[in-house]
Amino acid sequence: MELAELLDRTGLDVLDHLERQVAVPVVDGVQAQGDLIVIPLAMLGTVTMWSPTPWRQVPPGGVELVRGIAGNNPHTLVADPHTCRWTTSLRDPIGLGIAVFENTEPAYLVHPEHGGSGVAPGCWLVRRQQERGTGLRARTVLIAD
Amino acid sequence: MSARRGRKSRSSAVLNQFARDLDLWAHAVELRTEWLGHALCGVPADRAATEGAITDLYARVDHPPPAFVWVESPSAALRELPPSPHVLSSHGPWPLENRLASLVSALRHRLEGHRWTNRDSSFLSSQPPQDPVAALRSGDTLKSIVDHGVRGALRRTVRDSVAGVMRAALPDRLGMFWYGQQEADWVAYHDVRRRVAGARVNPADAAELELWATLARSCGWWWPRADVCVIAERPLAVRTEPVPDAVYGEARMHNATGPSVVFPDGWAVHSWHGTRVPSWVIDGPTVELIAAERNVEVRRCAIERIGWESYIELARLRLVGRSSDPGNPGCELHLYDLPYAQRGASVRLLLAVNGSVERDGTRRRYGLHVPSWFDDPIDAAGWSYGLTGAQYALLQRRT
Repeated sequence: MELAELLDRTGLDVLDHLERQVAVPVVDGVQAQGDLIVIPLAMLGTVTMWSPTPWRQVPPGGVELVRGIAGNNPHTLVADPHTCRWTTSLRDPIGLGIAVFENTEPAYLVHPEHGGSGVAPGCWLVRRQQERGTGLRARTVLIAD
Repeated sequence: MSARRGRKSRSSAVLNQFARDLDLWAHAVELRTEWLGHALCGVPADRAATEGAITDLYARVDHPPPAFVWVESPSAALRELPPSPHVLSSHGPWPLENRLASLVSALRHRLEGHRWTNRDSSFLSSQPPQDPVAALRSGDTLKSIVDHGVRGALRRTVRDSVAGVMRAALPDRLGMFWYGQQEADWVAYHDVRRRVAGARVNPADAAELELWATLARSCGWWWPRADVCVIAERPLAVRTEPVPDAVYGEARMHNATGPSVVFPDGWAVHSWHGTRVPSWVIDGPTVELIAAERNVEVRRCAIERIGWESYIELARLRLVGRSSDPGNPGCELHLYDLPYAQRGASVRLLLAVNGSVERDGTRRRYGLHVPSWFDDPIDAAGWSYGLTGAQYALLQRRT
């Protein structure tokens, strides 16, 4: 699918300068979009789901997984109806996991600055990015772009 | 008439229409420039005109004129505001400011509704044509170009960038207020529709629109309340730069040597290529301040202000390792030792290149703090997502 079609179908938008006639590749593996990363759940043994898992279908308007610090740069997960379910009910020991989604058709992450990322059918963990704090109490902090 | 002559006259009619539209578009661009001038105007407010227009607006919601309190900046206005009622009641009269909001909302609805129907607003969400002249030639309507090229362009510059940056520098709750000179986007749009595109507006609506036009030409932000109206002066100066490759004259807040907007009382906001930043980023970015900054965007702006090459030198960064970035073809990850973090836990700096291209064709560089036990940039990048280096090396794509 081209980015332009993806935007038309979702009502989302990206910044004007991003090339819209370019195909959004559907990737079957690890991929990053800015401060988010999509990882095959099976790759990590440490992340577990609640049991039973309260799955929700991804609605037609998509799901905002995380908002940027300015509030206007969300990463939105979109998919065709009944092809993708998602949940935030997970346990990630390092605390970076924010959602798991399972899709039977390609699903897409859309971001105003980064454009679109296609995700092949599978079960995926979405994690945020962290960095090391530099103060006296050096904790890790989450990145928000 | 022969078929050939019919085609000829039709094509000459199309050409004439195109020539007319081109003239009209040129006129629209002149008016847009004029309104942008009002929106960024840095001379003292025209207080008499402002108070006259606001008095008239109060009268339209059957309210006597308020006492006018002039302040020197939006920040100063917050100290003058009377406490506002906490909730809107469905019983009893609405507060004055809510009635004014209904008044202008109804006006805008009527102005939109006359000939350019709601359907036209869908143009706002679609992609503006990259070349307005070519778009007119290929049959786009003048109104769609005006929508993108006047209202959209002014909204992006005035409301999103200038007012947005100022708004972000103030507390969350400002109560109900209007932007005065920075209402220029919608005022200009209706001005262009009437004066250029020949839209008919009934005289009562035209008179009401003229009040908002007067305010857009005369004053800064204003807070109407029942007994008092607090009005901010216009800034002393607004500094912008053209947005790279913008075809409709869009600008964004930027000043590399001082505040991007400053008011008579000294209240100021600093911006770096459209991003609001603390004043130290512009006035005195230092390696120490950058090290202490938690916001990665602010850090990026501060380092860009110094320049990456100079920063690496100033911060005495020692390159520990470099590696090509998996999933980001042609880009490298660099891992540096940071000598400045001795007091806290020691950290290293991972310098990465953004996966997506900026508007000006460049890619941003980002510096990320990582624990100092990493020697391999891939391991460090993996850690930032909670992955091992081997797992991160499987990255197929980065945007």
